Amino acid sequence: MTRTSWRDHDWQLIHTDAQMPVQHMALDAVLTDEVGAGRRKPTLRIWEWAAPAVVIGRFQSLRNEVDAEAAQRHGIEVVRRISGGGAMFIEPGNTITYSIYAPLSLIDGLPFSEAYAYMDEWVLAALGELGIEAWYQPLNDITSAGGKIAGAAQVRRSGAVLHHVTMAYDIDAAKMVDVLRIGREKLSDKGTKSAAKRVDPLRSQTGLPRASVIEAMISTFRRLHGLHDDALRPQEVADAESLGLAKFSTPAWTADVP
Amino acid sequence: MHGEYKMPGGKLAVIDLEIRGDRLVDVRLSGDFFLEPDNALHMIDAALEGQPAALSPPAIAGVVAAAVPATTMMYGISPDAVAMAVHRAVHGEQDA
Repeated sequence: MTRTSWRDHDWQLIHTDAQMPVQHMALDAVLTDEVGAGRRKPTLRIWEWAAPAVVIGRFQSLRNEVDAEAAQRHGIEVVRRISGGGAMFIEPGNTITYSIYAPLSLIDGLPFSEAYAYMDEWVLAALGELGIEAWYQPLNDITSAGGKIAGAAQVRRSGAVLHHVTMAYDIDAAKMVDVLRIGREKLSDKGTKSAAKRVDPLRSQTGLPRASVIEAMISTFRRLHGLHDDALRPQEVADAESLGLAKFSTPAWTADVP
Repeated sequence: MHGEYKMPGGKLAVIDLEIRGDRLVDVRLSGDFFLEPDNALHMIDAALEGQPAALSPPAIAGVVAAAVPATTMMYGISPDAVAMAVHRAVHGEQDA
């Protein structure tokens, strides 16, 4: 395999309607496979959420990570994603999440640690332009002097790499610790002191509305790597809906690691 | 029984298990690590099932390493880290 560069690819942007949590999980699987099969060009997808969710990593214990009773009380759906890494607490508007679906050639030969940093160089540049000095903290975090900003996860399948990242925009820390079984040490790792009410590095450090931060990120990606506006195809949506029903909404999947 | 081990420079390996007749049973590995292909997780669980509870950490690490294909990619976790989590679960030691 010959290593490709960002500019060797014709990058597509998907930033469309808000999706339900299960559909987000399924879209990541479907779009990774579509790019791997060459039916879709390499793509950046910015997520918008239609409902709150806890997204646990592929190998996390459902019981150990999530207080099911608290999640139900807050009306929060629990879903499991296809990549490893830690749990994310999502409420519409509280995070910025994106996925990059790329041919494996983009990171061919890179050790894991470099592959993570390489996929997010554009984000560090975007954050810099927004006035946040951020850097990669191995294994899979983006951090700043003010604390952790984001966590990334990668999975390689069917000839493609999925690299997705969730960035903390303005998280209700009290609700998060109510739903996630998260230690004080971990909370501090997420960029706050245990007494803090909000984990809001992007909001507090940019002073910008969430939509403006996303706009700035897209503009940086477009300038650095090139980017054409695209949309989900009806077949991709239908495939994701089927996969959501067959897999991502089932207890067999969500409790695969009970 | 529950044991956790944070691999230095890596992620958390968590083991939940029971001991029956000096053997490990109902062994479940979990954590915020990365593992490809993902079915390696259940291969590791299956390989640890029924192992003697008295097994040393290096021996447990050997069981874990032999449980998965050589091409398996581990990031933020290692056979040694899993072995430490098993050891802590068996001996009731706190993560330190």
